Amino acid sequence: MPSDTIAHAVGVPLHGGDVRAPADVFNSIFEVFLVLGTVVGIVVVAYTMYHAIKYRDSGSTDDPYADTVERPQLGEKPTGGTGGRKVFYSFGISAVIVVSLIAWTYTTLLYIENGPDESQAAIDAIEIEVEGFQFGWNFVYPNGHETNSLVVPQDRVIKLQVTSLDVFHNFGIPELRVKTDALPGQYTSAWFTASETGEYTAKCYELCGTGHSLMVTSVEVVPQSEYDEWYADTQSSGNGTSGNVTAAIDAGATTAVGGAPA
Amino acid sequence: MPTTSSLQIGADDLAFPRLNALSYWLYLFSGILVGVSFFQGSTFAGGWTMYAPLNTPAYIPGEGLGATSVVLALIMFTAAVTMGSVNFLTTMYRMRAEGLRMRDIPIFSLSINLTVWMMLFAFAALLAALMILASDHVIGTTYFQFANDGSTLGTSAENPGASLLWAHLFWFFGHPEVYIVFFPALGAMAEIFQTFTGRRLVGRKWFIISMVLVAIQSFIVWMHHMFLTGINLPIKTIFMATTIGISLPFDLMVFSLIYTMAKGRVRFKTPFLFSLGALLLFILGGITGVFLGAIVLDYQFRGTYWVVAHFHYVMFGGATALIGGLYYWYPKMTGKMYDEFLGKVHFATFFVGFNLLYFPMFIAWETPRRVFEYPADLQIWHNLSTVGGFILGASMLVMFYNLFVSIWRGEDAGESPWKYASTAEWAVGSPPKLENFPGLPSYASGSLEFLDDEEVAERTGKPPGAGVAADGGTASDGGTARNIRAVTAPATPTAAAHETGGEGHASHASFWPFLVSLGGFIAFLGLSGVRTGSPVYVGMAAVGGLATVGSLVGMTRESFHAPEMAIAERWPFEGVEKMKLGMWTFLASDVVLFGGFIGSYAFVRVAYGWSDWHHDLIPAEHVTMPGLINTYLLLTSSFLVVLAMVAAKREWRGATTASLAGTFALGVGFLVNKGIEWNHLFHIHSEMFPNGWTLSTNIGSSTFYLTTGLHGAHVVVGLVICGYMTIRAWNGAYQGDDKPIEYFGLYWHFVDIVWLFLFPLFYIL
Ligand SMILES: [Cu+2]
Ligand SMILES: [Cu+2]
Repeated sequence: MPSDTIAHAVGVPLHGGDVRAPADVFNSIFEVFLVLGTVVGIVVVAYTMYHAIKYRDSGSTDDPYADTVERPQLGEKPTGGTGGRKVFYSFGISAVIVVSLIAWTYTTLLYIENGPDESQAAIDAIEIEVEGFQFGWNFVYPNGHETNSLVVPQDRVIKLQVTSLDVFHNFGIPELRVKTDALPGQYTSAWFTASETGEYTAKCYELCGTGHSLMVTSVEVVPQSEYDEWYADTQSSGNGTSGNVTAAIDAGATTAVGGAPA
Repeated sequence: MPTTSSLQIGADDLAFPRLNALSYWLYLFSGILVGVSFFQGSTFAGGWTMYAPLNTPAYIPGEGLGATSVVLALIMFTAAVTMGSVNFLTTMYRMRAEGLRMRDIPIFSLSINLTVWMMLFAFAALLAALMILASDHVIGTTYFQFANDGSTLGTSAENPGASLLWAHLFWFFGHPEVYIVFFPALGAMAEIFQTFTGRRLVGRKWFIISMVLVAIQSFIVWMHHMFLTGINLPIKTIFMATTIGISLPFDLMVFSLIYTMAKGRVRFKTPFLFSLGALLLFILGGITGVFLGAIVLDYQFRGTYWVVAHFHYVMFGGATALIGGLYYWYPKMTGKMYDEFLGKVHFATFFVGFNLLYFPMFIAWETPRRVFEYPADLQIWHNLSTVGGFILGASMLVMFYNLFVSIWRGEDAGESPWKYASTAEWAVGSPPKLENFPGLPSYASGSLEFLDDEEVAERTGKPPGAGVAADGGTASDGGTARNIRAVTAPATPTAAAHETGGEGHASHASFWPFLVSLGGFIAFLGLSGVRTGSPVYVGMAAVGGLATVGSLVGMTRESFHAPEMAIAERWPFEGVEKMKLGMWTFLASDVVLFGGFIGSYAFVRVAYGWSDWHHDLIPAEHVTMPGLINTYLLLTSSFLVVLAMVAAKREWRGATTASLAGTFALGVGFLVNKGIEWNHLFHIHSEMFPNGWTLSTNIGSSTFYLTTGLHGAHVVVGLVICGYMTIRAWNGAYQGDDKPIEYFGLYWHFVDIVWLFLFPLFYIL
């Protein structure tokens, strides 16, 4: 991989901590939507109630609007009432708000879809295969090591390749805002970075049978050094399939995924 | 609901009363079959989306017969829905009151019309999905199994498209289904707004255009339910755009309702309270739906309570309007008024309960769906929800009590208890008589009036008393401010009109539809267990199947006549008779059914690898020749049907009979040829397929046998009709009246055309 070599040569490796995490993307957009949604909701509901109350029937026999509007009569052929222009203005405003909001989020969708591609952080990513099964998760590391719970280093881009061994599942780590379907016979991808160490939970988000509620596992985010130690152990525990794995996985060093030893 | 609607458009009945009965009985028995499924070990437990492959026997604990029964019951239900749709559309297009153009029909009826159009196509897609699933369950095809033995790793899947195929088929139905549920509510809301604000719907034309747009677009947004399934970015973008696109017409409708209140005389009666409440709930549902339209947010909302809360605000919001509709039309249905105070109590508790139940779910949105554990800090919101749920449930008891007791204690409602109600149902007695109207309704003069027999006779040139107008009746103007130019001629009931009216309606009592449905029920219950080989199940399947076919024949032979309205508005189908229109409508849904099957084949083949497919899955013994011969046979038979029509028109009995017999013979030839071909393929012994090439061998054989088998089943049905017609032709029928042959021909040509698609797909490519 040439870009790999170049980045290494330049010697300014961006690590995953410099990348805008999916969690940040989600939280900032969600906030804007919440604020705007609340405002629009209050305005429209108030506007509706204003009309309902202002034009309530006073019970008087005189029709206060007799000169401007015609009342429907039994047996008439249905037609529209007057005042359609206001409908269009209001509709126009709402359409502009909705369309511009969605359009604004579209660039972030591209980012989430493609990942931080050109940066060193992406090259430096760890690629983990996730297999859902009834009722648990299996994680396959680049060296072939398999676990039932996830251990990842802090501030590294983690790329997931997700599939299922039996039925339709969905893999999600809610706190880290990563989620993707796990389909038998197909792979979907997702990525995330975690800037804070600690214990998170991964869950299944698609009904997959009687044990669906139990399809929970832990996701441990540990400092890079701790991860290196743990990862080295998994190698010495002798999993034979680690052909494409580099010997050293230091922070900021070159890749484990498909790269030649540094 | 259909009754209200047929009253609104001025129809005196449905176009096909017996089909309506059949639809009803099938619906009833499908429910019973679901009930029975609980006693077959366990019922279907895969959620309403029924995702594959959890919906296949391999992943259903135990024998899974109950699950199979549910799938079959859903097929029965879907068949009932399709019949209802065909019937209803025909009624709407053939039996509108004179002067009522499509755009003139009341907004509630229009919403029903669009609902039924969506049902016709959406349920046909569901039918395809369910039939394929049932065949996986009953005869062992492998569409929804990603690997044949059900245990292979995903990485070595033999049918990698399995899981996604179901998701596509299901959501192609599932999204329109949302509007199928919601549209009647929207129509009721608009109707009630007009009456209780005393204003005509503002921007009515644009309201209608919006509804039509939504109905069409509802079929091109389904993948927004599948954003995380790995579909690629361009497709995601397209579906994001269509999804936002479909939300805009709803904005317009909401504003139209809001402005309808302006300058109105708003009366807060129970129906209006519920409609206004529904509008508010829908506004909240709409706003939270925009969140889901932003894909980046949608990803994280997937499988959480955000979705649950959102769709309840939309769909249960719709149900709220329907409750309003129930109060609104209750006086019409029963002739009595409900208690207004209790109605208001119901609304207050309902609205509080509703929001207490569903709003906290937005706050606790991080709760995963269908999981019994959730973070402890969210508990307070879930507790509130539970309380809300009980309040909501209790509020419904108030309604049941009110509506039940009012049947006896309620005041008489009269024809119209509502000021400013304008649609036709309020111009007849409450409850309406069986014949719906006192005379033939007409809007020709610009507003509703009822024509009596003599007037109709004058206009149509038929003698009076020929039963052209519906039952006669006394003039309906009870006195209040109303614009009906009362029936012009003395509207005394004529004896003749009574007779015909009586005859037309008495034949609703045909018992064949019941027997057909009962037979179907027994057959399906049997089918749910045939894979066990148990003689009880196999016996039931056989007996039920025979009973169904027998009663269908009985139903065909029974003489039955549903009179058509003498004068009616029929645009755009003036030139298409009722039967023909019904047939066309049915064929339209059949096109979608075959589309579902052919689309499924293309989808799994692409997922597998289009060219590897032929190499890996299809035996060398599967050759083109049998297909080629069958193409020739079918094309020739279509030609003969045309000859039969010509002969019937010219009243050549012998030629008519011979052409029909020829068609029959060629169809039988088609089936025999297919039988030989299949038998050969079942029993091949090649290196690749040592045990023959059967339904369960691989996804290639499954798609081949099931798709061409569905076509073969259509041929069989055609042959039953053709054989029956041949005998009747021999006995002298159809001479000078080639219409029945034309209807059969429509069907037969359609079956032919389908084959012209199947042949290249399964024999050449
Ligand atoms: Cu699950
Ligand atoms: Cu949808």
